[in-house]
Amino acid sequence: MAHMTNPLATVDQLYQRTSFSALPSDLQDAIFFTTQCLTQAAGILLRIPQSVTAQANVILARYWLVESPLAHEFSDTSAAALFLVAKLSAHPCPPRDVCNVYAYLLSPSSVLFKSGSSDKGGGVEDKDKGDPSSYYLSESAYASFRARILALEARILYSLSFDTHVALPHPLAITYLQALDFLDLPRAEIARRVVAYLNTALLSPQLLYLTHQPHALAVAAIYAAARDAGAKMPACAWWEVFDVDREELGFLVVGMRSLEGWVRAQREGEDGVLSAKANGMVTRAYVEGEMRKRGLRIGNGSAGDEMEDEEMALMRQMDEKASQLEG
Amino acid sequence: MASKSRWADTEEDAALEAKKKREKEEKKRLKAEKAQKAEAERRAQAEAEAAAKQRAAQEQQQRLEPPDDNIPPTKRRKITPEQDDQEKDGTTENESSAKLLRFEAGGWGKSRSVENYDKLNDIEEGAYGWVARAKEIKTGKVVALKRLKFDPNDASGLPETGLREIQILKDCSHRNIVSLREVVVGDDTSRIENIFLVLEFLEHDLMSVLGDMPEPFLASEVKTLLLQLASGVAYLHDHWVLHRDLKTSNLLLNNRGQLKIADFGMARYVGDPPPPKLTQLVVTLWYRAPELLLGAKTYGAAVDMWSVGCIFGELLTREPLLQGKNEVDELAKIFELCGIPTDESWPGFRRLPNARHLRLPKSSGTNTGPIIRARFPLLTAAGSALLSSLLSLNPDRRPTAKEMLDHEFFRQDPKPKHEAMFPTFPSKAGQERRRRRSTPNAPGRGQKAADLGTMDFSGLFASREKEERGGGFSLRMV
Repeated sequence: MAHMTNPLATVDQLYQRTSFSALPSDLQDAIFFTTQCLTQAAGILLRIPQSVTAQANVILARYWLVESPLAHEFSDTSAAALFLVAKLSAHPCPPRDVCNVYAYLLSPSSVLFKSGSSDKGGGVEDKDKGDPSSYYLSESAYASFRARILALEARILYSLSFDTHVALPHPLAITYLQALDFLDLPRAEIARRVVAYLNTALLSPQLLYLTHQPHALAVAAIYAAARDAGAKMPACAWWEVFDVDREELGFLVVGMRSLEGWVRAQREGEDGVLSAKANGMVTRAYVEGEMRKRGLRIGNGSAGDEMEDEEMALMRQMDEKASQLEG
Repeated sequence: MASKSRWADTEEDAALEAKKKREKEEKKRLKAEKAQKAEAERRAQAEAEAAAKQRAAQEQQQRLEPPDDNIPPTKRRKITPEQDDQEKDGTTENESSAKLLRFEAGGWGKSRSVENYDKLNDIEEGAYGWVARAKEIKTGKVVALKRLKFDPNDASGLPETGLREIQILKDCSHRNIVSLREVVVGDDTSRIENIFLVLEFLEHDLMSVLGDMPEPFLASEVKTLLLQLASGVAYLHDHWVLHRDLKTSNLLLNNRGQLKIADFGMARYVGDPPPPKLTQLVVTLWYRAPELLLGAKTYGAAVDMWSVGCIFGELLTREPLLQGKNEVDELAKIFELCGIPTDESWPGFRRLPNARHLRLPKSSGTNTGPIIRARFPLLTAAGSALLSSLLSLNPDRRPTAKEMLDHEFFRQDPKPKHEAMFPTFPSKAGQERRRRRSTPNAPGRGQKAADLGTMDFSGLFASREKEERGGGFSLRMV
């Protein structure tokens, strides 16, 4: 059964996250979404199959239910999760590659998180674009990045009590589609749509992969894709054949379909974290600044308290300084 | 679409607002449910379902109950939205008309500290780490603590072998596979430097039992052990795990006659077709299958079955079956026992990387065939048939673990001995003195697979050639 089931978040963990975190939930959601996007982009550049990158997404989401996202730089956590999952898979990638890819994705040259149309104050960027020196990773920067990733790798494992098992819904979804005879649609088309829904759900701050088993995600993705295509679905409660009840299905379908609208709203909103103003990857410095602006205290009452001691803070400051000097 | 924008609103709102809204919806939902109930009862089922689907599209976030089920309308959930979510995944509730399967797989949280255990004594230091006997302070339960060996300065972080071992053991649950209770870490959690696997404790390992036995195992005992080994291996292969280091020192035995497979430091998940970049250098030399020695890039479950064959032989004689000094010598020992490969017995073996430089004696009929039966004269015909098939040079000819379990050998008299009737031995793992025979260690990760160079085995059967041939008859050895 292990191939089809996942451990799920407990009520307490979810409640902690929404109610007791120092982070306002809009920031939390934006951090989650951008970091998961970053992980996906890195997976593509590292030529890691999506089956591995998707697991890294899930591992990262699980980790952030145990420790506050603010305990470490978001991009570091993303890199560590991807590095760890790749290592355990059939497609390991050396730390050097991981560091290079992240250095590029976080540099001004990266096209990730840049919306081409809303390029208002983009004079500087245009110059930077495609400039290799902007993502050159010096030996010392590499060493410190690697050290952070490796420390975080152990940290993630510890926080998940070394359980790295992730069952993905993608293969199940294909099997279910076969059982449904692809709903009389062109096979590749409907399958692509279903997989697209499943991949999108990985980015959703609703943490769908942490609250629902793969079979439910698979059925919901099929339902959503079939509706998009206007397919004729069986008239009976076919989802029950796949052990999903209607309520669960409804919740998931809405959750999966809502992400697009949420992202668009965030991008278009004046001071949304994903708006054009906040171009580039969300960083911890940005979030902390944002929180200060709102008059919130940082690093209080979050799950990552033990990491927030003075020494760590100092080291972090030094890291940031170093990267500023180099960047 | 109307429903979409409504949901999206909720999404955008702060959690507090969402909560309020959901509470409101909850009330609405209750009302709607009541109205619905009355209405739905009169409808035909198919009609009701069509309506349900329509509603699902229009007002999904209201999460109406299916109208066609027989839940009392009073059914209530007065809880936080998070709990609602949790229930939604259905681990606790489902009262719909159909009986739906529910999957429970637990949750996750931080590892506990090793300070929850009291060390009793060291057991051994193997190639992959240090093992100690320890007692859980709270429960008094005796366990084995295995420390994950790793170099904190290693540029590639935690060793994948150790992480794979944890991952695989966590997924396995079988009576013939050692169970992993948890993974604990050193007390200082700001830097994770000490990682311990908490494994169930078994009194013996098979190698030291064999080494200290005055008399070999009885045939019935050998069968019991082999059945347990095969059923553990069958479970692993069934779950897409290759162990890749089966040997007697990795088989544990408790005082109740139970055998468990341990040490998954070399194990990994595989698929069908097998993944491309499998490590060539796996399995301790004496238990390594010929295709690995010949440099096969792809291999499968059959490498474990070869090891099982080697263990079978070792159980009979109390000595490792094929004690090669190096890769070339190991191959020589294999060919000596199992005969030389031919194009009929192992089609395509010539294409293996190391086989190209292989100079084999001319195959001249019977004298280059296997001598397994002669080597184990006390084994029944079925027994030696099983052993010979496990030690087939051609991996495709080896039986699978499942096939092995059904082998006639285990149905013949003497029947396998009941585990409870198994002899007991003085436990070594707790004691100080242990006699150790040196077996070669499992190959280290990252070492290069040996390039065997030119191998000349043409003299291998020279002595057999000279052997006296009988006058047309030979003693039948049963």
